[in-house]
Amino acid sequence: MLEARLLTKIYHGAPALDRLDLHVPGGEVFCLLGPNGAGKTTTVNLFLNFIAPTSGQALVDGIDAAAAPLEARRRLAYIPETVMLYGNLSGLENLAYFSTLSTGQRRGREELLALLREAGLQEGAAYRRVSGYSKGMRQKVGIAIALAKEAKALLLDEPTSGLDPLAANEFACLIENLRQRQLAVLMVTHDLFLAKQCGSRVGIMQRGRLAAVFNTSDIDHTGLERAYLDVSRQAVAS
Amino acid sequence: MSIVAADIAAGAATDSGRWRVVRTVAVKEWLDIYRDARFRWLAALTLLLMICALIFGVEQVQRVDRDRAAAAQADRQIWAGQGAKDPHAAAHFGQYAFKPQSPLALADPGIDAYVGTAVWLEAHKQNEAQFRAARDNPLSARLGSLSLAFVLQAVMPLVAIMLGFAAFAGERERGTLRQLLSLGVRPIDLLAGKGLAMVGVLLAVLLPAFIGILMCCFIFVDASIFSLGDQVMRLVWLALGYVLYLAGFTALALAVSAFSRTSRVALVGLLAFWLVNGFLVPRVMTDVVRDASPLPTALEFRQAIAQDKKKTFGHDESHPAFVAFRDQVLKQHGVTRVEDLPVNFRGLSLRQDDENGYRIFDRHFGVLQEAYDRQDRWRAALGFVFPFLAIQPYSMGLAGSDTRGQYHFTHAAEQHRRAIQAIVSDDLIRNGRYGDPAYVAGPELWARIPAFSYRPPQTGWALSAQAVNLLILVSWCLVAGLFAVYAVRRLRPL
Repeated sequence: MLEARLLTKIYHGAPALDRLDLHVPGGEVFCLLGPNGAGKTTTVNLFLNFIAPTSGQALVDGIDAAAAPLEARRRLAYIPETVMLYGNLSGLENLAYFSTLSTGQRRGREELLALLREAGLQEGAAYRRVSGYSKGMRQKVGIAIALAKEAKALLLDEPTSGLDPLAANEFACLIENLRQRQLAVLMVTHDLFLAKQCGSRVGIMQRGRLAAVFNTSDIDHTGLERAYLDVSRQAVAS
Repeated sequence: MSIVAADIAAGAATDSGRWRVVRTVAVKEWLDIYRDARFRWLAALTLLLMICALIFGVEQVQRVDRDRAAAAQADRQIWAGQGAKDPHAAAHFGQYAFKPQSPLALADPGIDAYVGTAVWLEAHKQNEAQFRAARDNPLSARLGSLSLAFVLQAVMPLVAIMLGFAAFAGERERGTLRQLLSLGVRPIDLLAGKGLAMVGVLLAVLLPAFIGILMCCFIFVDASIFSLGDQVMRLVWLALGYVLYLAGFTALALAVSAFSRTSRVALVGLLAFWLVNGFLVPRVMTDVVRDASPLPTALEFRQAIAQDKKKTFGHDESHPAFVAFRDQVLKQHGVTRVEDLPVNFRGLSLRQDDENGYRIFDRHFGVLQEAYDRQDRWRAALGFVFPFLAIQPYSMGLAGSDTRGQYHFTHAAEQHRRAIQAIVSDDLIRNGRYGDPAYVAGPELWARIPAFSYRPPQTGWALSAQAVNLLILVSWCLVAGLFAVYAVRRLRPL
């Protein structure tokens, strides 16, 4: 569903992403770990075609994101570190807005409320203006937007950064729910525990390259942490 | 991909789906603006300013109309009560032609305050209009003038800028643009939705102003002079011009916002344009056009007429032209002495002198008006980039307070003067005897001369003169719109 083929991005002569080959099928959560500047967010931005690749392809459901960005984006849902919403609108109004824009179709209030409930937002909060929402509540609205879009792939860019453990755990459950719906999920994170908990596979990036890939079923928390630190130390040493 | 997802993706791409997206963006923007207290205050203050300008305009038009009516009545009484006298002496005695102020001048007083509201009609001379409000009340003319046109031309673009400068740049700063674009929304649909919302908000502010003007027209229009239907038609065209003007500003604000990295940069750029468009360029273009196509000074103009008038004879019976005319008349009637003519030669010579003068006046005033028109055309030429240059004359033209409107009035006044001259000269020709200074006409002749009754031109006349400015405003709107489309095609979320 999500596929990178020799995907490369060079900024001022320095590769931010270097010939990335990656395939995330439907029903899999692939977590990208790595130190800052490793190329994780660049990968997400290339799938969204927010930046153009220097070479290679980012494919969404077989569609080249650079060649047909609108078509590719319509098959994607995206949840950044902080889901940015319109503060003057309620959670329900935000969801209605983003839902209509992504599908071109209007959903009824009950349907939208059901989506918010499914994403874990309390019903009373749905009618309050988003300016008063916590980060966790915003992320839940982001999940509801992804659900409303019925996307086939989900891009998450450090979605639990800054969330308290309880909220992060709730979020992990939602990711699992989405995986069971056969979404292909690519999650960028610094949270090793979340990666182990949610991920089907974990990739560790270093200097724009995918340095290591593990099946989460083959590695425990300690092993993952050790692998991550080794890769990071190599990056620092070189 | 599931069938549902494919359907949804297709839904966003269909025409009805796209229109729904545009409408949804517009409704959301409306809601956002409505809930933002800053915009509510801005709209309320702008409305208040418009209402104040309208009240001042009504007060001004009513005062001028009241003064005009009183002066016209008094002047007519003086004319009719002048007693028995030589008809030509009565022509010299003269009377005023007063200009009725266009009802729409309450919205755009244009040049009315600077060109005078009455023409003194007397024998041998085509006078320029006098009684200028700017001269009679210089303090308010210089320092205290506030018109609805100023609010529409200078303040409303500022409102458009305030509404639009953060439309894309602000979303980029807040991060919502990433969120929006990640949905697969066409940037052009976002532009259309935001543009629709902004134009809607501007119309919501404009509408009360135009309803106010319409009501004033209904209440205050003098139906004996102005056709109400014609004023409504003018108002419709006026509204169209302002909608084009402000729609262009909306598109420009959106374009600059899409191009700018931050909303602050967008705001500074747009404010710079607003200042240049509304204040610098009009002044610079006025100077450029004045230097490129100069007008004669008032003194030069009068001297040029006086120079040409020397070629005709007036009351000078030794003037070669007078002698030639006399000889021609004698020959036509087969007599050798003017005393033997069957009609009064003095009346004939006065009529001939008038007709000679008419050709001179027509030529000079016509050339002057052509020069005004030429200056106006050149000044508006850059209006597709700086629309103030086009909306200002367009607005004055439709309001009937521009140089062409003034020319129409002075031309009508001159025609009335000529009618007076024809009546008094004919009376002298038929009833007087050459060399008999005792002949006088009575009040019945003065009463036979109708009071000046001015019929202002219709909308079509005003519109024909403003067609170019209307086209320029359409061009401005298109140029700004294309700029906005170009800008959103390059829209980047980062």
